[in-house]
Amino acid sequence: MSYISASNVKFSYDEKGKNVLNGVNLKVNKGEFVALLGHNGCGKSTMAKTLNAMLLPKEGVVYIDGMDTSDDEVTYEIRRNVGLVLQNPDNQLVASIIEEDVAFGPENLGLEPKEIRRRVDNALKAVDMYEYRTHAPHKLSGGQKQRVAIAGIIAMEPSCIVFDEPTAMLDPNGREEVMRTIKTLKEKGITIVLITHYMDEAVLADRVIVMDNGEILIEGAPESVFSQVNLLKKHSLDVPQATELAYKLIGVGIRFSKMPLTAYECVDFLEGVLS
Amino acid sequence: MIRDVTLGQFIPSNSIIHKADPRVKIVLLISFIVLIFCAFNFMSLALVTAMILGIIILSDVPVKMYFKSLKVIIVIILITSMLNMFYGTGEPIWQFGFLKLTLSGIYRAVFVTVRIILLILISSCLTFTTSPTDLTDAIERLMKPLKVFHIKVHEIAMMMTIALRFVPTLLEETDKIMSAQKARGADMESGGLIKKVKSMTPVLIPLFVSAFRRAYDLAMAMECRCYQGGDGRTRMKTLHIHRLDIFCIVFTALVITGVVLCDIFIVPII
Amino acid sequence: MSIIEVKNLCYTYGKGTPFEKTAVNDLSLSVDEGEVIGLIGHTGSGKSTLVQMLNGLIRPDSGQVLLNGCDIWSNPKEIRKIRFKVGMVFQYPEYQLFDETVYKDISFGPKNKGLSENEIDEVVRKSAKFVGLSDNLLQQSPFDLSGGEKRRAAIAGVIAMDPDVLVLDEPTAGLDPLGRDVLLSQIMQYHKERKNTIFIVSHSMEDIAQIADRVMVMNKGRLEMIDTPKKVFSQIDRLESMGLRVPQITKIMLSLKKRGFEFSDGILSVEQAFSEIVDLLKKEGKI
Repeated sequence: MSYISASNVKFSYDEKGKNVLNGVNLKVNKGEFVALLGHNGCGKSTMAKTLNAMLLPKEGVVYIDGMDTSDDEVTYEIRRNVGLVLQNPDNQLVASIIEEDVAFGPENLGLEPKEIRRRVDNALKAVDMYEYRTHAPHKLSGGQKQRVAIAGIIAMEPSCIVFDEPTAMLDPNGREEVMRTIKTLKEKGITIVLITHYMDEAVLADRVIVMDNGEILIEGAPESVFSQVNLLKKHSLDVPQATELAYKLIGVGIRFSKMPLTAYECVDFLEGVLS
Repeated sequence: MIRDVTLGQFIPSNSIIHKADPRVKIVLLISFIVLIFCAFNFMSLALVTAMILGIIILSDVPVKMYFKSLKVIIVIILITSMLNMFYGTGEPIWQFGFLKLTLSGIYRAVFVTVRIILLILISSCLTFTTSPTDLTDAIERLMKPLKVFHIKVHEIAMMMTIALRFVPTLLEETDKIMSAQKARGADMESGGLIKKVKSMTPVLIPLFVSAFRRAYDLAMAMECRCYQGGDGRTRMKTLHIHRLDIFCIVFTALVITGVVLCDIFIVPII
Repeated sequence: MSIIEVKNLCYTYGKGTPFEKTAVNDLSLSVDEGEVIGLIGHTGSGKSTLVQMLNGLIRPDSGQVLLNGCDIWSNPKEIRKIRFKVGMVFQYPEYQLFDETVYKDISFGPKNKGLSENEIDEVVRKSAKFVGLSDNLLQQSPFDLSGGEKRRAAIAGVIAMDPDVLVLDEPTAGLDPLGRDVLLSQIMQYHKERKNTIFIVSHSMEDIAQIADRVMVMNKGRLEMIDTPKKVFSQIDRLESMGLRVPQITKIMLSLKKRGFEFSDGILSVEQAFSEIVDLLKKEGKI
């Protein structure tokens, strides 16, 4: 059975208003890395919040590891298992000392002080911020703050982390730091749902899901999704320039064994074609 | 730049005053404040003064920091000592119109001045040697018994923690909004008081809007991290009373006894 | 004729404190009227400090900023007037909106400038149009607009001062691809009609490559390069050593060139890359 299983999820923010989610079906396996793409207002952030019971679907159900998110009894069990990292790193940090902020989650779980200490240290090491443990958050860069926010989630030892546009407010260096962190978490076997509108981040995922108007437009492996260049452009989404070039070359009769997503793949392939 | 302002007065160091348990420090501070006002004669006042000066030396905080904190209230000290000087009773030693300078007036002025100075010094010592987080933490733990009276101790402490966390962020934000409005030609420097207050509207409204947005985000982030209020919550850092703290308590108790004895056996002057 | 000339500009934050940091170090440059300058450099390279010195928000420690040949600090009391000539749009400008209606908010700048009611009405409507805000939005509260509309309303508030130089600090940060494309094309349309000078700070090399006449690269408070996008982005190794990237397409074509294929330097668009590859394939008779 899938770790996350959402079926026919509908949601609207006010009673009579338009549905923000319009029957979304989503299945994510344990240990999978899924990227959720779409332009602003397509419902991807709303979808993220239904995954840890911050929002409950108006229709349809969301199961996390077999638990129904609408069941009050398991709300906190679900939130402990599915961590949510938000866009603005500044607004997620509670305490004015890094290690105390990371401890916030485990403290809420009512763990023993020794166990909290162990988890905080491990979490800070996992995001490579251990040396900064006694610093104040406002002195850090955006990328560092976001890593501390991630550590705060890791310290609850979740089996899945949902990232809601974690890099939207960061500079290129910060984005890289955060993406590197996400990749190491994936290697540790944590299930990852990454919501983004940066294509170069989505290509790292095992599976890409494109949302539009509260529905799933297409889903599949990054190569197959990004090869539908026209469809993506029609829904005003970016395509990596490497893929766009390959797409144009297919139009004049060049055959690609596999759609290139990164500059390296594209260069290697074109070298073969040209020589 | 506003953002260069460091919050609180905490000066990190490794002195024994820094190391003492913040709860003990708060309780001892309160007993010192009471003690300062219980010193009725020169002997007991000298004893308290010596004790406080000793603590200051042990605190390993540059003396100029203490002078800085005294500078702020120098006007208050001057005014109160002046008032006291001329309000004494008894035989005047110097008179000018209705102003009467008496011996008891001078004594009172000296007492009041020394008391205010001591008060400021010992309270500054607490803020210099205890980080704001430790302070809120200690206050939360000390106030725990008040829960009996349905006082939301945990919530108050949580609010203090969040406030401390967001002061630098909001200061930086103020700075940014001010620059942005200045770039649109806002004039915040010239004009009288009313004009200046009015010119702050374009800064204050965006600041409030931003504070609300941050509050909304933070509330959500806290819920995502399983926050359910103070019940069932544990803490990573536990406070323990060490030998040092017991020593501090015993020592203060001895000083209190000393002051009380001085007060009883030496005749008060005023 | 150069509209802005910067001579040996220096600025240090927190002078004499332990936090001292040189943000801009002996920087000189000259920008012609009507140019679009792309400003790149990683965080902390001094970009923001530099642009805030262009409109007198920060006073340089030494050096001069000349606007139309006059030192902007020649009369410090009149510095506010410079801000109407050099308009500055900060990062996330929607966070500065404050008035009851979008109309009133946009008119804040022109009012400070001292325009009459009629003039204000004209510039407000004109600048709202530039950024694509329809008339019926003008009477709404700025806080009821969508994220993208807020951003555009805030930019209109600066355009309304009719500046000769417009500085935009990461105008597309946080927008999705559609919002970004629309905003950039509106800015370029405005530039085409108003023909003023534009400085645009951005982390998106693709955007910069697309719109800038010249690109200036800052590193550690100094001006490293200032040249056409083509020439700047050809120097991929130098840029990468400063922690900067080049557009992906430029990188692909330069790597192919390194491997011995004949392509021109600094290819900036997929279209150009495509046509050069097709030409090469045709020459070799492969298609």
